[in-house]
Parts: sequence; C-alpha cells; structure tokens
Amino acid sequence: MSSVAPIAPVPVAPTTARPAAVARRRLRRGHVARRVGINLLGLAVFTVMIFPVYWMVATAFKPGRNIQDYKPHWFPAPATLSNFTNAVHRPYFWTDVKNSLIIVSFVVVLSLTVAFLAALALSRFRFYGRTAFIFLILGTLMVPLAALIIPLYITLSRVHLINTLTGVIAMYMTFVLPFSVWTLQGFMRGVPRELEEAAMVDGSTRFGAFVRILLPLVAPGLVATSIFAFIQAWNEFIIAYVFLHDGSKQTITVWLASFTNLHGTDWGPLMAGATLTALPVVVFFVLIQRRIAFGLTAGAVRG
Amino acid sequence: MAAIQLVHVSKEYGGGALAVNDLNLEIAEGEFVVLVGPSGCGKTTALRMVAGLEEITDGEIRIGDRVVNDLAPRDRDIAMVFQNYALYPHKTVYENLVFGLRMRKVPKEERRRRVEEIARILGLEDMLQRRPAQLSGGQRQRVAMGRAIVREPQAFLMDEPLSNLDAKLRVQMRAEIARIQQTLAVTTLYVTHDQVEAMTMGHRVAVMRGGVLQQVDTPQRLYDSPGNLFVASFVGSPAMNLLEVVLERDGGTLVCRVGDTDLELPADTVGRRPALERFVGRHIAVGIRPEALSEAGEDPDAPRLRGRVLLVEALGAESLAHVEVTGTPLDRPELVDVAASQTHLLPVGERTATLLARLEHDTGVRPGHIVDLAVDTRRLHFFDLESGVAIAAAAAPVTAAAVG
Repeated sequence: MSSVAPIAPVPVAPTTARPAAVARRRLRRGHVARRVGINLLGLAVFTVMIFPVYWMVATAFKPGRNIQDYKPHWFPAPATLSNFTNAVHRPYFWTDVKNSLIIVSFVVVLSLTVAFLAALALSRFRFYGRTAFIFLILGTLMVPLAALIIPLYITLSRVHLINTLTGVIAMYMTFVLPFSVWTLQGFMRGVPRELEEAAMVDGSTRFGAFVRILLPLVAPGLVATSIFAFIQAWNEFIIAYVFLHDGSKQTITVWLASFTNLHGTDWGPLMAGATLTALPVVVFFVLIQRRIAFGLTAGAVRG
Repeated sequence: MAAIQLVHVSKEYGGGALAVNDLNLEIAEGEFVVLVGPSGCGKTTALRMVAGLEEITDGEIRIGDRVVNDLAPRDRDIAMVFQNYALYPHKTVYENLVFGLRMRKVPKEERRRRVEEIARILGLEDMLQRRPAQLSGGQRQRVAMGRAIVREPQAFLMDEPLSNLDAKLRVQMRAEIARIQQTLAVTTLYVTHDQVEAMTMGHRVAVMRGGVLQQVDTPQRLYDSPGNLFVASFVGSPAMNLLEVVLERDGGTLVCRVGDTDLELPADTVGRRPALERFVGRHIAVGIRPEALSEAGEDPDAPRLRGRVLLVEALGAESLAHVEVTGTPLDRPELVDVAASQTHLLPVGERTATLLARLEHDTGVRPGHIVDLAVDTRRLHFFDLESGVAIAAAAAPVTAAAVG
C-alpha cells in the first residue's frame, strides 16, 4: 500500500486535469465569442444612432457644392466655417436663442420646483385621491400633444397669451410637469422614509428633514429629471411654431424651420444651425451627468 | 433621564381598525422595558407614538412630567434606533453621529468631544470618515446606536434593532446593548418580536397581542406565571406544552385527566388556587413546561405520562425529547408556538399530543422507545378554557414592581 500511494496521483492527475482544462478553454472560447457578439451588436446600434448626428455635423462644415453632390462626401474636406457664419448672421438668431433660453430656464426651474413638492406628497403622504392623481398624471402623458393644439390655442387666445413667451412656458409646463412629477416620485420612493424620521427625531423639523436628508439623496433624480425637462422644452417645435408668430419672439427650433422656404432648403446653414442648436443640450448634459451616476442611497439601510 | 408613561393610549387607522387598544404602560426612570409580540401586534405603532412619528388617536403620553401628545419628535428629546438603521447615506460616520448635536446647537468643541468619545466606546474611531455603504452590518448597527447615545437623550426608543444581523452578531450586540443601557441607565423602550431577546434584555417585558397589552412583568415572573394562554405559549423556548384536560375529583384530591391517565394534583397546589374548585368536572387547559417533565424513576405513585418517543434532539447540555402521548392538544388561534401539537402516528380514533420534554444530556431514550415521563405537578399551569385566563395562585398577585 505504502509503495502504491505516492505513485497513484501521477497517472490520475493528468487524466482528470486534461479534460477539465479543455472544457475550461472551450468555455472561455464560448465566453469570448459571446462578448464579441454583444460588442458588435452594440457597435452596430451605436453607428445607427450616431450616423445622423455625424452627418449633420459633417454637412455643417462642407462647402455648398459638396453637399449637393451626387457622390456622397464622407468627410468634410475641404472644411469651411461659412455655413456657421451664414447661419449666425441670419435675422433673429441671437434673439431666438435668447427666447429659447428664457423659456427653457423657466420651464425647468418651475416644473422641478412644483414637481419636487408634488412628488414629495405622492411618495410620502397618503391622501384621498392619491391613486387617482397618479393615474391622471400618467393619462396626461398619454394624450398626443398635436390633438391638444386647437383647444389650447383657443384657451390661450382667451387670456391673450398668444404670441408671448409666457404662453409658451405655460404650454410646455402641461407636459413637462407631469413627466417630472412621475419621474421624481420614482426617485423619492427609493429613499427610505426612516431616514427623514431619524432626522426628525434627531432634531430636524419635517421641512428640515426634507432639505437636509431627502434633497441631497434625490439630487441625482433631480438632475436626471432636469435634463429630460431641458431636452423636452429646448427641442419642442409644434407649440412654439403655432403659438409664436413674430420672428423676434420665436424659439430656436422655429428659427431652424425658416431655412426651408419657397426656393427649397439651404442645407449647409441649416445643418450648421442645427449643430449650434444641439450644442446647449450636450453642454448641459456633460455639466450635469456626472452627478447621476453617483449612487447616493447606497448603505442607508441594511446592505 | 425621564420616565415614560402611556395612559389609555389608542391608535386607530382608517376603517376603524385599532392598532393599539387602550395601552397603559409605565417605564420608570432608567428602566429597560421590552415590548414584545408577534408581527402586527401594535408594538411598533406604540413605539412610534412615543417617538411622535405616529399621531395618537386617544389617550396621553408623558415623557418626564410633560404631556407630549402634540409635541413634534424633535421636541420630545428622545433618540431612536431604527430596524434598518436609517443611517444618512450621504454623510460620513462622523457626520451621522454629529447630526443630532448640530441640530440641537451644541457648541462645536463639545460636539467633537462627544462624538470622539462615543466613537471610542463603540470602536468606531477608524471609521469616522467612512460612509455607511463602506461598513459591515455590525458596524452600521453600532453607528446607529452611537447616533442615539451621543445625543444623551431623555430616553432611547429601539425598533427591532437587531433583526437585520446574523445570529451570532445578534447575540453579541444583544449583550452590548444591554451593557450600554446598564452603564448609561437611560430609560429604554425596546421593541422586538423575538421573545428570547425580550427575556434576556428587559428589566420588564410587556407582551402585546392584537393591539392589546397582555401582561407586563419581569422576565422570570412572566415565565413562572403567565397570565393567559397567549403569554404562556409565547414566552419560553422551547415553548410550553399545552393540553386540554378534564379536572375531576377523586376522593379527597383533584386529578387532571390527560387522555386515559389521571395526574393527581398536590394538595398545596390546589390549596393556593381556590378557584380551581369551580372547574371540577369541566375541561380546562394545562400547561407543562418542558423542564417539568423528566424520565420517571421507580416510584409507582409519582404522576407520570406514558408515551412513545418520536425524536430526540441532543443539545449538548440537555436533550429535547418529542414524546407522543394520548391526550388532547390545545388548538386555539391565539397560540403562537405550540409544543404539544397534534400528531396522527397512534391508531386512528385516538387523540394524541406530542410533548416536549427536557431530559438529561446522557439520557438513554431513543426514538421508538416507550417512555414514562414524570410530571412535576407542582409546576403545572392552569387556564380557563373559555377565557384563556390563568387560574392563578392567589399568593402571587401580579405587581408591577420597579426594577432598577
């Protein structure tokens, strides 16, 4: 026995190890193939999404003859800034940028303030009609905006708010606000109620607990909601187009539409203008997105 | 430090459901009272009412000499430890600990001194700059305790603070909390569903069921003389054996008929319970603690129950035997944990009950054996089957003695 024992592992070890290793390698190969597949798919989706954006930016830098050419020019070479100067020097550009910024700032600030309080009520208090209210909010989000244009126009004209920024701000609130309430209350539900209760026992008022505890914890939610509110308001076209008549009172999206007229579309400056219009959204997003990723509620309660 | 008084306190939720029904409870200065009961019994609601997180429908709550019914939580000067700790996740441990002091405008130097002292006591010194997410469950529990202690409040309120810990840590923290409470001598109201926790930690234990306070007493007295069937079944681990028996007179003595066996009751047991006479010829409930059962010796006259061993659990210091006897197990909705459960192993038609017996660790009893269990009839508990109330010994009136 004693002489056999040390020998025994020698033949056994490789025979068991080899199939295991092979299996492992095969498994690894399968794993790699799957990852490559997933990445390729991701790349394909990315290309489809990013290509129109690329084409917009590229076209903005192309001289006119290259834009209208039958043979596509994949790269803007030679590049030119003339489209941008053309766009910027068109009438009302700066005025309309200013109008858009005014409208968007009001919409974002107003809707977030009101939505914060509404979401607070929905997520923290039980009251009569709470469920109905939630459904109502969802319902308003389901109605297509185009269907409301005429009644809204009549309503606004009765209160003399047609062709005013105030009127458009009020209109935008009708869809940005319910959306913001809905999103924010989801974020607030993620914050355990006990945190505020602990703060209240620790010496805060109820309001103090909201400000000191809840507000910092739903900050990522506020940021995400404000980005969406910003994008919705900034990119909105139909309402602004219908409700604002004067060139000096229009928003930037309506201004963009002016590139198409009876003589056709002026593609180069239009793409330059569109690129400029997209810029604030990108800047706003970059400035603010870092806060979203920050998982703040982690560790509040048992892990 | 202050006493807490609940006087005829009720809490009604919408729809008329009473979560807490006419609760009267006094927690003396420096006392540790545990509120225990199955889930939904209203214990947490009661605690939250003391904290001010829940409004009172009826009654009065006093902390010290102030009626606090309408005071906001922050004005009650109490500290609370939550079941899920409720640490502020965006604040470091230090900020968590100091939050309450800052809210109360304690001077900066004093704040720092107190937080550092508490951190030292609780072994959190190296973690002051970490966030709750970076702590283990036990450490979070400590921070939650520290946040309460550092405030030096009038009273501690604790809502199942140990229920999220694993078994080993729970036993450790149980002792730690009891020790801290002893050292600081802060009035403490502690809520748990775990009767072992209640019995080991509390100076006094208040048992609740369905919003109604069942009994308040020291752990020992709760164990020795439970006031009703619910408390009897709830307190004690392993639980009390409860049987339905017939009380008969046999010559000069009273006997309990369990199945076809008569257990003779000692004269002094009966003597101390004059009320028993009224139940002669009627069905009553009898409770036998597992330790009141043992392997019967040679004495043929000693009261005994014969049964078949189903299972023996060796616990090291002792062995728990599950023994099936003829008899009627008690089957009532209020019983929490019934040791004497119904089984169907004996021939059909016969009512059988499984009793739990605490035997010596070196018992020779094995599953399948027929065994005679000696019953310590002096330690029997008697209950009115209709009301569930104990037929108590007259010499031991229930008193709410202060324990310090």
